[in-house]
Amino acid sequence: MKSKVRFNSIGLKALVVVVLALMLQPLVYLLIRAGEKSTSEILNLLTRQKTLEVLLTTLSLLVIVVAINVLLGTVISAGLHYIKIPYPRLFLVACILPLAIPSYVFTYTWKALFPSMQGIWAGAFILALSTMPYMILTVLIAFQKIDLGIIEVGRSLGLSKVAIFFRIIIPQVRRSISAGALLSGLYVLSDFGAVSLLNVETLTVSISNLFKSSYDRGAASVIGVLLFLAAAIFITFEATLKGRDFETRGNEGFQNSIRRIDRPALSLVAVTILGSYIIAAVIVPFYVLISRFLANPTAVEINNLATAAAATISVAALGALMAFALSLPLAFLITQGKGRFVTASERLILISHALPGVVVGLALVSFGSRLGSLYQSIYLLAFAYAVLFLAKSVASTSSALALVSPQLKEVAATLGKSKSKIATDVVFPIALPSMSLGILLVFLTAMKELPATLMLRPTGMDTLATQIWSAASISRFNEAAPYALILVLIAAIPTFILTLPGTARSSSEVRSESEKKVSYL
Amino acid sequence: MKRSALVAAAAAATVVIASFVWVSTQSESGSQAVEELTIYSGRSEEFIAPFLAQWEQESGIALNVRYGDSAELAAQILEEGENSPADLFLSQDAGSLGAVAAASLFTQLPDSVARDIDSAFIADSRSWVGVTGRARVYAYNPDAVSVLPQSITDLTKAIYRGKIGIAPSNSSFQAFVSALINQKGEAVAQKWLSEVKANDAKIYLKNSAIVEAIDQGEIDLGLVNHYYIWEVVTALGREINVKNGYFSSGDIGNLINVSGAGVLATSKKQDAAFELINFLTSDPIQKKFVEETHEYSLIPGLTPPQGLPDFTSLGSPRVDLGDLANTQRTQDLLIKVGLL
Repeated sequence: MKSKVRFNSIGLKALVVVVLALMLQPLVYLLIRAGEKSTSEILNLLTRQKTLEVLLTTLSLLVIVVAINVLLGTVISAGLHYIKIPYPRLFLVACILPLAIPSYVFTYTWKALFPSMQGIWAGAFILALSTMPYMILTVLIAFQKIDLGIIEVGRSLGLSKVAIFFRIIIPQVRRSISAGALLSGLYVLSDFGAVSLLNVETLTVSISNLFKSSYDRGAASVIGVLLFLAAAIFITFEATLKGRDFETRGNEGFQNSIRRIDRPALSLVAVTILGSYIIAAVIVPFYVLISRFLANPTAVEINNLATAAAATISVAALGALMAFALSLPLAFLITQGKGRFVTASERLILISHALPGVVVGLALVSFGSRLGSLYQSIYLLAFAYAVLFLAKSVASTSSALALVSPQLKEVAATLGKSKSKIATDVVFPIALPSMSLGILLVFLTAMKELPATLMLRPTGMDTLATQIWSAASISRFNEAAPYALILVLIAAIPTFILTLPGTARSSSEVRSESEKKVSYL
Repeated sequence: MKRSALVAAAAAATVVIASFVWVSTQSESGSQAVEELTIYSGRSEEFIAPFLAQWEQESGIALNVRYGDSAELAAQILEEGENSPADLFLSQDAGSLGAVAAASLFTQLPDSVARDIDSAFIADSRSWVGVTGRARVYAYNPDAVSVLPQSITDLTKAIYRGKIGIAPSNSSFQAFVSALINQKGEAVAQKWLSEVKANDAKIYLKNSAIVEAIDQGEIDLGLVNHYYIWEVVTALGREINVKNGYFSSGDIGNLINVSGAGVLATSKKQDAAFELINFLTSDPIQKKFVEETHEYSLIPGLTPPQGLPDFTSLGSPRVDLGDLANTQRTQDLLIKVGLL
């Protein structure tokens, strides 16, 4: 293991630095604008009661949503994985489908049923609905990777199933629960749609309000820096809580050896819990969207709808590809072990993930308007998506690359393959399926993005999200419904692909596939 | 491996389609005659697009319109500075226009532009011109409010406790606060804002949300612009139990604000932009605004929107709209009292 095949580390680091420089444009922007305020103004802003209130609201919301996610997300995943339920695939897809629904659509649809809905608990409810799939996905994958041998040991020691779950399974998936909590927490920090509609003033809402007061980009930026710091603390906290990396061994052929618990009472409980989530997060939004769509008095302009859909798909896909490309250098470095540089880069990218779209949008307006025809082109917009969602891409690209065993690369090297050949012939073919998941995830998120899209889209180009905004901004929710429906339906396709069997491939499974590869070399 | 092939194929297709989209949104520029104007519009597409389409027909010049929130578009123009691709900025409110004017990014409009518009609604420096007028009013539920407020100071009274809605992040509310500061001084304005806040006023993001909240019984009255009742009625597709109320004559709560337009100093197509402003401020189009969007015309003597009192009988205080633009102080004050 000592003579690992390393891709040129210095070169990779240089590339990572370039990526970071690009990624941190919004932070640079915030610091420049915040720096325009005097020290006393900054202190006043930070210490006034309002800021403290907003900070408290944000943290409370974060804690509530994360707590709901950890509890319910784990239960749902356990139900999906360990308990015998009818139509398990259908339940799985339905539990992940909410990924396709933007938080503002959740809010509109729920508010249509309960108009007086507002406040922090309503916000927590909606945000928990919309972030739950992140938790379910990460925990499910972890469940599938658990070494079944350990469970057997527990069983032979006479532990009950409950004891096995809490004393053996949970400790093994703790890191994944933590990772899911991190994702949903960062989402809570950056969300604007749900909280603003529900009158919950979080830091992101505060920033947006201050930005809208066109002159006070300085004050907004001070709060933006505060948000950045809050995200940094949250991420450090999560990293400490999660503890050190430990090696998880994959088990062999896990999918067949799972014995689901077949007890009617338990199945009933599982179906009830899963069903409640699906009703709240899938049925209700679809029901409202469809009934609004049918109630829409004005004819849908198919042309507009199609153009907006085409634009949405292409820009989001472009953004996802860009994010993927930008994630590669760091992902390679991560698979070669985590030094201080790698950890720091990874965290910086994660923190940037908490920055709201309006900050990234304005920062790229500020820098991008100097770029001539690139400004307000789909390329700059796609780049904004890459900046916003790079963290997702880095995470999945690096775990995909981790599937390629170092030995395999060594074998390839001893066979005289050049490094670039190893990359193209060995690493990519093995890692690509998992990498494509990351691409899909960014694509999905980018399709729903609004604030940066409004600022950076080519003039005259509409996406589905901007069309929803434009109808909803004059309270025409019925007219927004067809756009929202199409958005959700299109987003449902990658969501569906995300849940295809084999998504959570254990490394051993891939390893056996990679061993087949060796014969080709 | 199938999925990655799928994704790869989709990726390739994307790049091709994306480039098509990009090319199709690009227009052939470079020729000498003006073929196209770029507009940043804070006015909603729904309400302004028919007017713009008519102008495109009449002038033969294509319009490239970027819709957004007025204040966000102003912020965007400020960030773009000299690199702004915009020729014309159409704003919902005077504040956003003033922000751009204050950064000297507007050109001075020649005297031949917007001749008929009441000069009170043109910035002193002629950096921008009002296009339509909107009155600040209070919207209320006639069944719930027994004692109508006569002045904004009444809103701090205990009978309205927890029953008022305001939208402090909304620029029309901010313009009103600016006027309040200009007229009564900062100390009075601060006291009023703190007292309204202490009176448990509910905070909303938008005027229309206030009207809907009144309709749903969350609150009894709220400070909004006059036309939101129609907007909400159209949106909901049903009648609502909300009426416009006016403070007594001369009260600052009856402020008249404007939507307006300015031409970017960096625009190379200023003459065409001037023509568009002239079109929007012409008699027939002003009448259309009155009929279709329920806004006031800024040409003296034109009839008010149906069912609304005449502009002059509102007793709106005379306020220099140029001053309304200076909302830095307003921002600071709203931040200080904790409404922003």
